[in-house]
Amino acid sequence: MPNVLHRRMLSRSLLTSATLLVVIAPRAHASHAPGARTLAQDTARVTHLLARATFGVRPGDIDALLAMGRDVWLEAQLDPRGRPDTALEARLSRLEAIAVPPGELLRRAANAAASARAATPSMAGDSAATAQPRARMTVVPAPRVILEELVTARLVRAVHAERQLEEVMTDFWFNHFNVFFGKGIDRYLVADYERSAIRPHVFGRFEGMLRATAKHPAMLFYLDNWTSVAPDTGSAARARTLTPRQRKRLMRGGRPVREPLARLDSAQTRRRARGLNENYARELLELHTLGVDAGFTQHDVTEVARAFTGWTFRRPTARTAARTGDAEVGFLFIPANHDRGEKTVLGRTLAAGRGIEDGEDVIRMLAAHPATARFIAAKLVERFVTDEPDADFVEELAEVYLRTAGDLREVTRALFTSERFYEVRWRGAKVKTPFELVASALRAVHAEVGPSRQLARTLNAMGHLPYTAAEPTGFPARSDDWVNSGALLARMNFALDLAGGRIDGVRIDPLTRRERGIRALGLALGSPEFQRR
Amino acid sequence: MNRATSRRVFVRRSGLALLALGLPPEFVTRSLLAATRGAERSRTLVCLFLRGAVDGLNMVVPFAEPSYYAHRRTIALPAPRAEGGGIIDLDGFFGLHPALDPLHPLYRRGELAIVHAAGSPHPTRSHFDAQDFMETATPGTKSTPDGWLNRVLGATQCTSCTGRTLAHAAAHAVDHVAAQASMTGTTVPALRGVAMGSALPRSLRGEHPALAIEDLERFGIGGNDIGLEDAFAHLYQTRQADVFGTAADDAFEAVRVLRSLDGILYEPRSGVDYPTGNFGRSLRQIAQLIKADVGLEIGFADIGGWDTHQAQGGIEGQLARRLTELARGIRAFHDDLGDRMEDVVILTMSEFGRTVAENGSGGTDHGHANCILAIGGRVNGGHVLGDWPGLETELLYQQRDLAVTTDFRDVFAEIASEHLGADRLDQVFPGYPIDRSRWRGVLR
Repeated sequence: MPNVLHRRMLSRSLLTSATLLVVIAPRAHASHAPGARTLAQDTARVTHLLARATFGVRPGDIDALLAMGRDVWLEAQLDPRGRPDTALEARLSRLEAIAVPPGELLRRAANAAASARAATPSMAGDSAATAQPRARMTVVPAPRVILEELVTARLVRAVHAERQLEEVMTDFWFNHFNVFFGKGIDRYLVADYERSAIRPHVFGRFEGMLRATAKHPAMLFYLDNWTSVAPDTGSAARARTLTPRQRKRLMRGGRPVREPLARLDSAQTRRRARGLNENYARELLELHTLGVDAGFTQHDVTEVARAFTGWTFRRPTARTAARTGDAEVGFLFIPANHDRGEKTVLGRTLAAGRGIEDGEDVIRMLAAHPATARFIAAKLVERFVTDEPDADFVEELAEVYLRTAGDLREVTRALFTSERFYEVRWRGAKVKTPFELVASALRAVHAEVGPSRQLARTLNAMGHLPYTAAEPTGFPARSDDWVNSGALLARMNFALDLAGGRIDGVRIDPLTRRERGIRALGLALGSPEFQRR
Repeated sequence: MNRATSRRVFVRRSGLALLALGLPPEFVTRSLLAATRGAERSRTLVCLFLRGAVDGLNMVVPFAEPSYYAHRRTIALPAPRAEGGGIIDLDGFFGLHPALDPLHPLYRRGELAIVHAAGSPHPTRSHFDAQDFMETATPGTKSTPDGWLNRVLGATQCTSCTGRTLAHAAAHAVDHVAAQASMTGTTVPALRGVAMGSALPRSLRGEHPALAIEDLERFGIGGNDIGLEDAFAHLYQTRQADVFGTAADDAFEAVRVLRSLDGILYEPRSGVDYPTGNFGRSLRQIAQLIKADVGLEIGFADIGGWDTHQAQGGIEGQLARRLTELARGIRAFHDDLGDRMEDVVILTMSEFGRTVAENGSGGTDHGHANCILAIGGRVNGGHVLGDWPGLETELLYQQRDLAVTTDFRDVFAEIASEHLGADRLDQVFPGYPIDRSRWRGVLR
């Protein structure tokens, strides 16, 4: 008996939601026509493109794209300049904390830390009362608020942006050059990192993005390069000759401090710094450019770390924070902390006696390296085509990369226009990541998305809350990283909650839900078909 | 092998002995089943993966080595003092980080063993690769399709018999009973291996069912709507074999079993205080599954935050805070399980160690060997096991890191075999010849 019930429920879920059917399985109802390529084939190709190059198909998207023609659509997506998305800007304008410049955020944080220290415990009540008017003017947004806004912006963009490809590629490249919201002051820097180091470069040259990330305070802080100095610079030698008492003081400073901003002005940084830190150098080679199997050695890692000594950043300090307007945060090269010795990186010699040019040369060298071309190509194929990167396709994209000196617009165009991309065997072959599932479900039902605690909770429970990948590898792109029994239940529950209108901050046309049936809609969005793209 | 053999090994041996007496196989099977049913609870291994590479040298400190203090000018921990506050002395040479104080009584009572200078023979210092190698237990081979814990599930489970002779069939029957016996009360294969978290770790991935559970208390469909559960089960059942495979079937089966537990009302033993946060919750829920007798053989939880390149601190600070959470969690779990720790081994692992010398930022970079902790009633505790390679620069691996003197697979293999009763160890550790003489005697 239950089986009969199931079938009735299922057939309703598939038959009554005609529009959704297009979104989930468009091939099923496309008609067959004679010719070089049938409409059914065209529809399937276009659906595949939309499934991979956007955050999900909305009702009507396929017809629109068929009418427009693939190339017209793709070119507009690849070059969105001069096409402002005013509706999106309006939606994002309500997010205030992430719009504050990072220097200003750091200044306020340093200021708040200074005044918190100034207040003795016994006077805390009084000083809080008197400090209030000033505090209101320079309030530091709570980390929770910043993260909520960051996630909201990601979701709103994924669901509502017209420039879908830019959003998809921003997600891809942020993940490639991952930084972690939860690490110290990066909470104040992540929004700017995406805004200035990633997004403007997704259709630019890879070298430009590599350099922008290398110099952004968020990356310098995340992978610790800001603390890396030549082992034999004056500051390192000074640290070695400290009296025990001075060393004790250093240790105190070396401990992670609850509020590092106030304490570590650049002079102190120089005093604290004592030698090489190879964290950034290793991930630069392994994750950002060559890939772990490119044959670089521990020696290369150390030499690259030496090349980047002295690359750090300036930021507001306890002393300057009180002065409004002095809220600069940005890349800083300190020649005194740079290792001026000769270096050998991947067999090439960097002459002694130079400064910032060492790091710049390494960036150029890595961006132009054939191993980087192949590594980037393989990562693109893994994310946008198939879990097991197809060697011929990787080679094809790597060639485009090398021919165009790493022009990402050209590489991305090649990805989505190659006949290899449209091979039938890739269709529906990727399992959506949790974020892709959430975004595509919201798009499928034409939802209006705003700040939503529950969406954030859901993404977190599925292990895919944006900006919270702690490790430099970012979030995985392969299906088997995301498919397991518990995760499937979470996907089904999300589908049911969305269909049932139980997610705060998300509006679906009540008529849509009534027409399709809440249960049927939930089952459709939670079905195995909808988990694929 | 001078510790009590596992139940499965015991059953298998006594079964074979009965066969050798010429008794008919059916009788042997029946009598073994009767003898073992409900006689003993299943054994459980709880794996804690410290992702990010914990600094084992500041966790279990070789404080008697002068080089330790020479290499670590600001982050070295002060030697043990009579008045306390420094390293906790274990044996005059090694000592615990004071943040691990909750584990000290377990060491003294012989329930905590430490294997130092353990790790992988592979030189990689990539987190990603090293974790992969440790989770597949095949250092240097990236193409290994499944994780070692999944293969352990295979090796403690009855496989289909392909033998043709009567003797083989009889031996298989004994195996089968032995396998059943080691899974007393189990009806849900997926609950034999459970990882707490949103994703199944590489260690547990593979052909044998295993489950990732983010939160036991919210493990169900639509707030326990059985109609929806059945409808989804039907949708996923009609899939041809694909990436979703049995994941959905396993999930629904587990949901049905867990629904029958009054798990939501779970209260740890009184006085037990798990640390707040994901790690504490994971351990609490693993304890809950063990006490519920759902047949849990392998529990798995992650704890991160160990990649202390910068300002890792000493007695206090970043590393100390992580160690505090780790130690409080393990201790709470231990106290919560009480005498059931007789059937449980907790095993910590981390992908590699950290540099012997501190770096320029008051932290440590990626290194080589590390230490492994094993906790349990049958652990050969109260010892720091393994050979100590020394910390003087010329003794270090590549002149910078602690050398590996115990292959991590020798620790894993001993636990898999002697605690969980896994046989076919050659399949659990492919390409690694099993040599029991290398085992460190982690278990009594």
